[in-house]
Amino acid sequence: MASVTLRRLSKVFDGGIQALHHLSLDVRDGELLVLLGPSGSGKTTALRCIAGLEEPTSGDVLIGDRLVTHTPPAERDVAMVFQNHALYPHLSVRENIAFPLEMRRVGDAQIARRVVEAATRLGLEDVLDRRPAQLSEGQRQRTALGRAIVRGAQAFLLDEPLSRLDAKLRIELRAELLALHRTLGATMIYVTHDQIEAMTMGQRIAVLSEGRLRQVGTPAEVYEHPADVHVARFVGNPGMNVLQGRGRGMGEEGRVIEAGSLVIPVELSTYEGELQLGIRPEHVGLCAVNRGVGNADVLVVEPLGSETLVHLNAGGQALVARLPGFVDVRVGTRVGVKVDRRRLYLFDAAGAPLA
Amino acid sequence: MTWRGWAVATTAAAVVAAALTLSVARWAESRYERAFAFRIATTTADYLAAVTPSPLTRRGSPPPPVTGYYLPQLLTQARALQTLPGLTSDVEVYHGTAPLVDATAPPLFPDDLERLASEGRAWRDGVALVPLKDRHNQDVVGAVAVRPRPTPRGPLPGGMGFAFPAALLAVGGAAAIAFRQRPLRRGGYAAAALLLAIAAYADVRGAARRSADRWLHDTRLLIQEAATRLPAPRSRVAIPDLVSLIRDAELVPGEPAESAPRRLRIDGKRRAVVAVLIGPGRWVELRTVPAEAYTAVWLVVLLGCAFLGPLGILALRWAERTPRRQRREAVIAWGFLSPAGLHLALFSLGPLVFALYLSLHRWGREPVEPIRPFVGLANFAAALRDPLTWTSLRNTAVYSLYVPVSIAVALAIALALRGYRRGWGARVLRAAFLLPYVSSVVAVALVWQRIYQAGSLGLGRVDWLSNPNTALLALMLLALWAHVGGQIVVFLAGLERIPEAYLDAARIDGANAWRRFWRITFPLLRPVTLFVLVTGMISAFQVFTYVYVLTRGGGGPLPQHTTDVAVSRIYQTAWGSQDFGGASALSLLFFLLMVAFTWAQLRLLGKQVEHA
Repeated sequence: MASVTLRRLSKVFDGGIQALHHLSLDVRDGELLVLLGPSGSGKTTALRCIAGLEEPTSGDVLIGDRLVTHTPPAERDVAMVFQNHALYPHLSVRENIAFPLEMRRVGDAQIARRVVEAATRLGLEDVLDRRPAQLSEGQRQRTALGRAIVRGAQAFLLDEPLSRLDAKLRIELRAELLALHRTLGATMIYVTHDQIEAMTMGQRIAVLSEGRLRQVGTPAEVYEHPADVHVARFVGNPGMNVLQGRGRGMGEEGRVIEAGSLVIPVELSTYEGELQLGIRPEHVGLCAVNRGVGNADVLVVEPLGSETLVHLNAGGQALVARLPGFVDVRVGTRVGVKVDRRRLYLFDAAGAPLA
Repeated sequence: MTWRGWAVATTAAAVVAAALTLSVARWAESRYERAFAFRIATTTADYLAAVTPSPLTRRGSPPPPVTGYYLPQLLTQARALQTLPGLTSDVEVYHGTAPLVDATAPPLFPDDLERLASEGRAWRDGVALVPLKDRHNQDVVGAVAVRPRPTPRGPLPGGMGFAFPAALLAVGGAAAIAFRQRPLRRGGYAAAALLLAIAAYADVRGAARRSADRWLHDTRLLIQEAATRLPAPRSRVAIPDLVSLIRDAELVPGEPAESAPRRLRIDGKRRAVVAVLIGPGRWVELRTVPAEAYTAVWLVVLLGCAFLGPLGILALRWAERTPRRQRREAVIAWGFLSPAGLHLALFSLGPLVFALYLSLHRWGREPVEPIRPFVGLANFAAALRDPLTWTSLRNTAVYSLYVPVSIAVALAIALALRGYRRGWGARVLRAAFLLPYVSSVVAVALVWQRIYQAGSLGLGRVDWLSNPNTALLALMLLALWAHVGGQIVVFLAGLERIPEAYLDAARIDGANAWRRFWRITFPLLRPVTLFVLVTGMISAFQVFTYVYVLTRGGGGPLPQHTTDVAVSRIYQTAWGSQDFGGASALSLLFFLLMVAFTWAQLRLLGKQVEHA
């Protein structure tokens, strides 16, 4: 096992699209790091640069102490699981898992032993002689995992491995992957756009947006202390409400932020002018009209059982409230809005946090 | 539809099919009657030309037309026809436009003669008109008109044919089955249709037989009459004097026999014959091809017509049972399919069936050999015995070896081009490779002919195409060059369909380029490779143009059959030896060989690869 280090990695594609901007990242030995970002944020490009499938325009990739920026993929000793699993369709499960060993000229007896070992670990013993087309989606993904772990690589790269599975299977395999990570003690870089996956799996999360690294930290850090508006918006389900606001003074009561139809008193003395106000949906509540910090119109109500999401229009700004249990509100009615004033996040107009 | 409506529709279908069958049969019968009328009219014209004395033979008469006939004599001979006992038709002879036999009959129009001169014959109001030519068989000086008298159409009471009662029976049967809702429906309808077709065919065959018999009968009378009337100085009439009467039959010395026409098999060929007495104790035999021997095609046509009934009933049943929407869709689908289907039937299936028919007959070119007897498998046996057949098959097999080579070359180039899909250089290259494939085959062949000529392009003093050792190789090189472009395009399309992810995965798994190709790309390309191989093999087997243009079909003197491939052998057999039956047999043998070979290729290489 080895650490993976990216140093000021940039990638510009032929069409002039810059997928990565000076990405620097340190993945520790044995760590499971999640690369999180919306689609097009450059996370897959970063992964492919680590694997050697893309050559970076500038910057370096290190695996352990080795500089591998221009080393072909075969010599980097990494394993990768692809989003569409990329199982060789003309080979059986056994042959698929054996493929990397065969390519490294491992002896037949050892190949057979290690394939069975990997297959047993993933519960594939019964389907070893089937072709990928004859497998369920879950079995295919397990086979792809098998092909990755059979070799004992320095680092495992997983490119949205669970995105094609249905919700139930995804939860199941998530747990299996975590168990696998624990037993192998392997360095894993896990790319996903699903922030729940990121929160549940990552020891650390690296949030990418528009090719730039926004924040690296534990799930709690990223959630509680988002480094900027992008991270705040992206992490959490649904993400943080970000309202365009304006701070100003208002007599003896101190200062307030006006955002749409809301007027929220804050303990902020130094700032005046345009700013962005972040509120997590769970910190928004409803009350009678004119009793809260402002009024809003109910656009959509999504009852989820354990909680209800209420989408609001607060003077032209979108706001989501997450309320426990079922809530009796009608679409189209006007309600009052409460916010937990201790849990507000303030960002400047450019998106950087205000102290 | 109620069952009564259903029964009415069924009966209507049966009536339509029966009416169609009957009218086709009637039409065929009248065709045979016309054929007889034209034939006997021609014979009569020839008879008149033979028996009317030359005007030069009579002295002291006014100067007659030089090549025409002396009218009083023509009048005498024509009138004599009227008194000839037993003729089955009414005959009229025109001199110019004037009728000679029945003076009160309406004359011809002047342009009738012109039409006869240009078209050779005419049919008007139940009368067959043929020209009466002068002695040198050049100018039309008159006409002979024959109106065949009605004859019984069948042996049934009242001279009725079989078809009409059979049609009544068939329609009645169909109606009875439909209205009574009898269980054995389809079988019953089919049996009724079969009965109808066979009865109608019996009538048509009878009409054909009658047409031959009547001609034999009437011609016998004319020959006997001619034997007594041939002008002086003839005293004893001999066969050579009479053959001018019977252009499309044979006249041979014969034995005494009754005057009715008979059917005989002479040297394995069927003939209709009649004995003719041309002098005391002197018999000849008049032989002709029996028209009924070539009526098989009518059986096919009539079966087709008659089975329209059961087919229509099947269609009705289908329409009744199928939900409306499905019916609509099926009708629309068949509507769209029908042009292609019709085209396929007319231009693919039809010729195939005809080739099968040809291959079972001796079939030469028309004027040389009008008789095309059934010979069974003799054509096939002859083809298999001919060493040139085997030579051509071996040459074809050797020639087709260029296909695997061109596939390898095409795949290599496609792999090389794949990396540079965007640059204009790659586009130019691709177009350059494709150019020979889309160029005119003959033009390409002619260019290569120049290249292969001795001394060109520094290829040495060998003339590749006329040297038996290199001629086939030269053709293979040309084929390789011409076909590689098309194969490259197919391979490029195939490569594009292989997801990049497989190759990425293999890269990470440690496979180098060589192994990526053999373990991933090539297996995944298998369907494409198979397609290129099978189509390439088929087109290699069918090679003809290059061989024909470059070495004149391989049968020429120079390459000594070394470039004689299967199709050129077929061509030589058909157009060189004028043996269409043999050529068809060869084609079918070759077709079977190709089917077997292609099937084997598909079986051996065609395991399906599913993409997951």
